[in-house]
Amino acid sequence: MLRAHSLFWHYLWIAPNLLLAVLAVLMWRRGVHKRFPVFWIYALFEAIQWAILYPLDLLPSVAPETFWRAYWLSLLVEALVTFALVSEIFTDVFRPYPSLARLAKLLVRCTGVLLVIVAAVTAAYAPIDNPLWLIPASHILQQAVYMIECGLVFFLFVFAAYFGLAWNRAAFGIALGLGVSSCIHLATWAVMANGGLAERRYLLDFVNMATFHACVLMWFYYLLLPGKATAKSAVRLPEHNLEVWNRELERLLQQ
Amino acid sequence: MTLAIFIVIAAAIALAIILQIAVSRSLPTSRTAGLAAHIQPIDVEAFRNLVDRAEDDYLRRRLPPSQFRHVRRQRLLAMAAYVKAAGRNADILIRIGHAALASSDARAVQAAQQLVSEATLLRRNAALSLAKIYAAMAWPNSGLAVSRVADGYERLNGSAMLLGRLQDPAVPVRLSAVLP
Repeated sequence: MLRAHSLFWHYLWIAPNLLLAVLAVLMWRRGVHKRFPVFWIYALFEAIQWAILYPLDLLPSVAPETFWRAYWLSLLVEALVTFALVSEIFTDVFRPYPSLARLAKLLVRCTGVLLVIVAAVTAAYAPIDNPLWLIPASHILQQAVYMIECGLVFFLFVFAAYFGLAWNRAAFGIALGLGVSSCIHLATWAVMANGGLAERRYLLDFVNMATFHACVLMWFYYLLLPGKATAKSAVRLPEHNLEVWNRELERLLQQ
Repeated sequence: MTLAIFIVIAAAIALAIILQIAVSRSLPTSRTAGLAAHIQPIDVEAFRNLVDRAEDDYLRRRLPPSQFRHVRRQRLLAMAAYVKAAGRNADILIRIGHAALASSDARAVQAAQQLVSEATLLRRNAALSLAKIYAAMAWPNSGLAVSRVADGYERLNGSAMLLGRLQDPAVPVRLSAVLP
């Protein structure tokens, strides 16, 4: 079952991409694509990417070099779309907080530069261990892209948690999916790029594909299903009277 | 392969933190009601006194350099404590403000928006001020300007009072520990 080109392998490659195509259609119908246009493009791109790469992988007439060239090219485009998506989430999260936007922008730029440097250094240390250089180069590129993506999404979660920012449900779902997928993909591609699990790399493919499938389902849940309506009671700020102030002052005096 | 192990560990830690934040966000916000009790009163005047440059100049003139550095560090530590308390209060007020945004009263929602906006600003200023205070601890002779925190806190106090009045006009609300 856990073999390349097994039924489960085919399912894990086909299902999430078809589901993303369906998600893109449903987003269009419900008008959600206007709120998250880059995510909509991302969903469409992933589906189109699969529609091109899947037959290229299966057709015996297609040379491995052709497949890897197409794969390499699609990775570059995917990286651009993903970074645009991360930027879209940042904009959505910080829109209601103009006082934080400037600081966030500055910190994101610093984090981004730092991540690019770390990604470049780790890529330089990765070995080229295959005569067809496109294969290790693809692994290294994936490692670098997911390192930057993972770092940025991690920064977003920590920053938002520190400042207690309220997330929009859909933006939270997209960010969570991206965060989970980028962390797991970073780990698997790092192992692949550095020559780990040489004989059992297909297992890492399964981990990647299963993670992506789970994230697509997560995006369905957060983008299409309405959130639970929580009954919120009126909130009142605390009363502070003179007795409380006096007590505080007495405590201060006794210190 | 050692590099890969480091990256895998870093990715696992990042994933655990992201999931923890996601889970804590998904928990019911029923605890909002009790949050206000955690607001710590802050004496803005005392804080201003600590920040006052004239006080520092006076101490610098009166004390030998080594003693001044010691006193200055103590004052900076006290300042940091005030700023941390202001940051924590701002965090609580952000959560209370978010909960109050669900109100059916348009004026209360507007006041809650203002409260969230100013509490967020204070949280930012508190974080930046803390960084500045800790940097000043390394160089006690350097100048320091954290008065934005004090000003921000006073503005926040005004917003909280406005929101409180709109939600319950009979109840006076004050956050800072200054006697009326």
